[in-house]
Amino acid sequence: MNVWGEQLMNALVIGSFYSLIALGYSMVYGIIQLLNFAHGDVYMVGAFVGYGVLSAMSGAPLFVGLGAAFLFASLATGLLGLGVERIAYRPLLQSSRLVMLITAIGVSLVLENGVMLALGPSFRVMPVELPRSGLSLFGADVTYAQLAIIATSVGLMLLLDAFVRRTLYGKAMRAIAVNPTATALMGIPVHRVIALTFFIGSFLAGSAGVLAGVYYGKINFMMGFIVGLKAFTASVLGGIGSLPGAMLGGYLLGFLETFGAAALGGEWKDVFAFVILILILTLKPTGLLGRTGTERV
Amino acid sequence: MKRRSADFSSVHPAPRRLRPGRRTITGLALLAFVLLGSGFLSACGGKTASTDGPPSGQTAGEATGGSSGGEILIGVQSPTTGSEAKMGQDINQAIELAVEELNAKGGVLGKTIKLTFADDACDPQTATAAANKLVSQGVVAVVGGYCSGATLPATGVYHQAGIPMVVTAANSEKIPAQGYPEIFLVNGTTKHQAKRAAEYMVKEQGAKRIALVHDNSAFARDLAEATKQEVEALGGEVIAFEAVNSDENDFTPVISKLKSLKPDATYWTAYYSAGGLFIKQFKTAKVPGIIGVGDGANDKMLVAIAGKENAEGTFITMSPSAEFIPEAKAFIERYYAKYGEEPGPYSALSYDGMRLLADAIERAGSTEPAAIVRALRETKDFPVFGGTITFNPDGTIQKSNFIVVVVKNGEFALP
Amino acid sequence: MTATSFRARASQGATAGLLLALFLFPRVASNYWLDVFTSAFFYVILALGLNVVVGFAGLLDLGYAAFFAIGAYTTGILTTVYHVPFLLTVPAAAALAALSGVVIGAPALRLRSDYLAIVTLGFGEIIRITAKNLTLTGSASGIYGIPRPTVFGHALKTQQDFYYLLLILAIVTYLAMRRLEHSRVGRAWKYIREDEDAAAAMGIDPFRYKLLAFVVGAVVGGLAGTVFAVRMTAIAPESFGFMQSVLILLAVILGGLGRLPGVVLGAFLIVLLPEAMREFASWRYFLFGALLIAMMHFRPEGLWPAGRRKMPQSGRAALNGGDGR
Repeated sequence: MNVWGEQLMNALVIGSFYSLIALGYSMVYGIIQLLNFAHGDVYMVGAFVGYGVLSAMSGAPLFVGLGAAFLFASLATGLLGLGVERIAYRPLLQSSRLVMLITAIGVSLVLENGVMLALGPSFRVMPVELPRSGLSLFGADVTYAQLAIIATSVGLMLLLDAFVRRTLYGKAMRAIAVNPTATALMGIPVHRVIALTFFIGSFLAGSAGVLAGVYYGKINFMMGFIVGLKAFTASVLGGIGSLPGAMLGGYLLGFLETFGAAALGGEWKDVFAFVILILILTLKPTGLLGRTGTERV
Repeated sequence: MKRRSADFSSVHPAPRRLRPGRRTITGLALLAFVLLGSGFLSACGGKTASTDGPPSGQTAGEATGGSSGGEILIGVQSPTTGSEAKMGQDINQAIELAVEELNAKGGVLGKTIKLTFADDACDPQTATAAANKLVSQGVVAVVGGYCSGATLPATGVYHQAGIPMVVTAANSEKIPAQGYPEIFLVNGTTKHQAKRAAEYMVKEQGAKRIALVHDNSAFARDLAEATKQEVEALGGEVIAFEAVNSDENDFTPVISKLKSLKPDATYWTAYYSAGGLFIKQFKTAKVPGIIGVGDGANDKMLVAIAGKENAEGTFITMSPSAEFIPEAKAFIERYYAKYGEEPGPYSALSYDGMRLLADAIERAGSTEPAAIVRALRETKDFPVFGGTITFNPDGTIQKSNFIVVVVKNGEFALP
Repeated sequence: MTATSFRARASQGATAGLLLALFLFPRVASNYWLDVFTSAFFYVILALGLNVVVGFAGLLDLGYAAFFAIGAYTTGILTTVYHVPFLLTVPAAAALAALSGVVIGAPALRLRSDYLAIVTLGFGEIIRITAKNLTLTGSASGIYGIPRPTVFGHALKTQQDFYYLLLILAIVTYLAMRRLEHSRVGRAWKYIREDEDAAAAMGIDPFRYKLLAFVVGAVVGGLAGTVFAVRMTAIAPESFGFMQSVLILLAVILGGLGRLPGVVLGAFLIVLLPEAMREFASWRYFLFGALLIAMMHFRPEGLWPAGRRKMPQSGRAALNGGDGR
């Protein structure tokens, strides 16, 4: 038996969730400098949409159901992201960051409590159960579900990386992050690119929501709050605005937390994460892979 | 590019002559608020008493009306919002049912019992406000109290007002430890439960190496600590005393640690929602030994969250819910007939608590809170589901009422 | 001039009438309404404190409940464990709150403005979880049995005592804040909020003034915490969570950011509205959220703002220009 190997797998799974959500934070921040406080709640909505799809398809084979839930929930949350951007954030793009951030807190409250009002405060249990089977890797018990989650997450991240690097839209995103005015002057539809960014970020958060919902089996309306904060920590850790940074930060936070909790006791796990956040912001505000740029005024 | 606001009044102080005008508005608006406040006062009072009469006279009238009119006003404190809202609803419904039956039999002292509900949201601050609200409505006694954390400060309010409270679910040792003579607990306390859990694990199951996991909530931590003492008193060894954060879904760091320690028995002292996940991850990780949970996790959802297969064999220490008490069958039927759902884990206790209170008022022959307190103290072998109630001097029950059930085929069953 | 003096007199009359009404209120009100109003005064103090940070200096603090917790726990621990008299715990709580304000503010205030929000949020959670984990702070069940205070020989026991205590404290805080607002320091804060670069060019050290605002806010929060501890007699970590910070922030934003009467109005709103809507309690945060969004869109200056003031604008104006509108 290999405890460290198992803790490593635990860290990779939770790190995958953090990374997927952190990407959305980082992309949105990179492009419009908004700390999208409601991003964690998008993850929660993803889990609930997945729950709805799985409940509706309860007769279908496991993998068909999971595939449909994954696709449908990711798309639905992507659209939710578009809607939120259009209604709540776009009219405020020229306002101060404070106004935007307060709006984001409002959106977060509305999403959380809207789901609570619609579906009740109690927990929902995902109608599917993942097989417990797995294999032994170097003496550590690893389930296929864990491997599948890590593989799916890494796959999504590679796709995103290719999109941002190779497509015209990706190039436009990077351009807006550097200088929105100049980008607009070049005839690039800035708002459409921002909307797309929200779509992709929310898509990733929603897919993380489905994966986590199915993996843990239990969802409720507050599930996005803590995870959202952690994912934000992850994106700051890696350097907010940097996509590889967000991925790195997510996995790094997963490791630090898992091993920190194992060493110090689970009750200190969150303190550990937040202390890391404050230390990073204080000592190296640009994060590990962030650009060393100053705040543009 | 910076857009600057047109005027600089925000940078420099406003010219002096402008300020009095603002103050007028300030004053008027605040005045309006006070008036609005007294408007609420009458609106709120109207819910429990007659709607005519001036607000101030009305509250006074209410205070006496609670005890001297044709009605006896009894307060119910429970969480009906927040994460424990379901428990509050179970408690309220059971108490309502008890009152309906009591009133149908002619009430108490020839008067009908009237309930007024206050939500404590399982939060100490809200609970204090709720308790003050009940006291100011003139209740003669209070039943309810689910979360120990919220019940604890509320009992202080009742104590100061001299109003008795029959606590029907909360059972932290800290409530009786305050030494308030007005507070009575019909549920077994943490110590009772810890003892039963330790006996089951160490004596009945022969477990030597015990792991205890709590979620750092007041209740769970107390139970884990009490269980540690009881286990050690029985010669067992506590090899792990771990805490998790129940707002989260991932307990794998703690579970992997447990796995390496190989416990004979693991006891989860926190609530059901995180408990179900804990069991699921515990079984998925193939940790050896049996697993059990405390009464905070006593809910059917535990099995649903853990998954039927994972939950199989889990033991639960609990206050007796109606379904494990043969004589409570009729109660379950009546409850189902009225609400269209099964009673919750604390419904039977709340039903009994309300009946006990009514009995005490009858015995006191008066609705004076002090007389009710005396009558409650003198309670002797009051028949409740699964036993009888006699109070210790500190307001706790003499005989432990805790039982152990196990999950069989996805259902809770006596072992 | 005659018109203004008439208005001045009218307003003084209204203020005096209002204060009189508030002082006489306990004669007619039930304990319940005393309790509600005492809570309202209490949030007035907290909101006025947070207003220094958010309203005057324009810094978003999402963990204000942490300072409130530090004050409450300082008093709670000193009175129950070390049996220190209440009044002596007040300076200790203020000092600890100030110290933690410096410790968290000094590094954080050098960061981008929105990072500060997250650092304070993290700080708030650290304080709450630490209070929950340590035995010194009574872990999850918190501290109870905090003795009722004796202030200058008078033991505060009843609802009415606390009503008057908080009413007086709220008035004192209000008056202090009004002096502060129009002082040199208050003007410097607003200047920094409106235009940090211009303020710096005028010789105002933005960092020092921001830190000062942060510390002043922390001290007010800490002092409110000490009163909270003796009023409730029991404190638990869950009273100091993120939602508490959001609630205080709401009070500040709702009424009118940086505007004292507006902040008072906001504090009353957040206490009275939920009490009035107890029946719809589950809708409360949803409505708050929707209200926040709507206000940021249509009335970012608050319900009762000062004159024609705009919220500070940042460089994102460029983005708007870039849209080709």
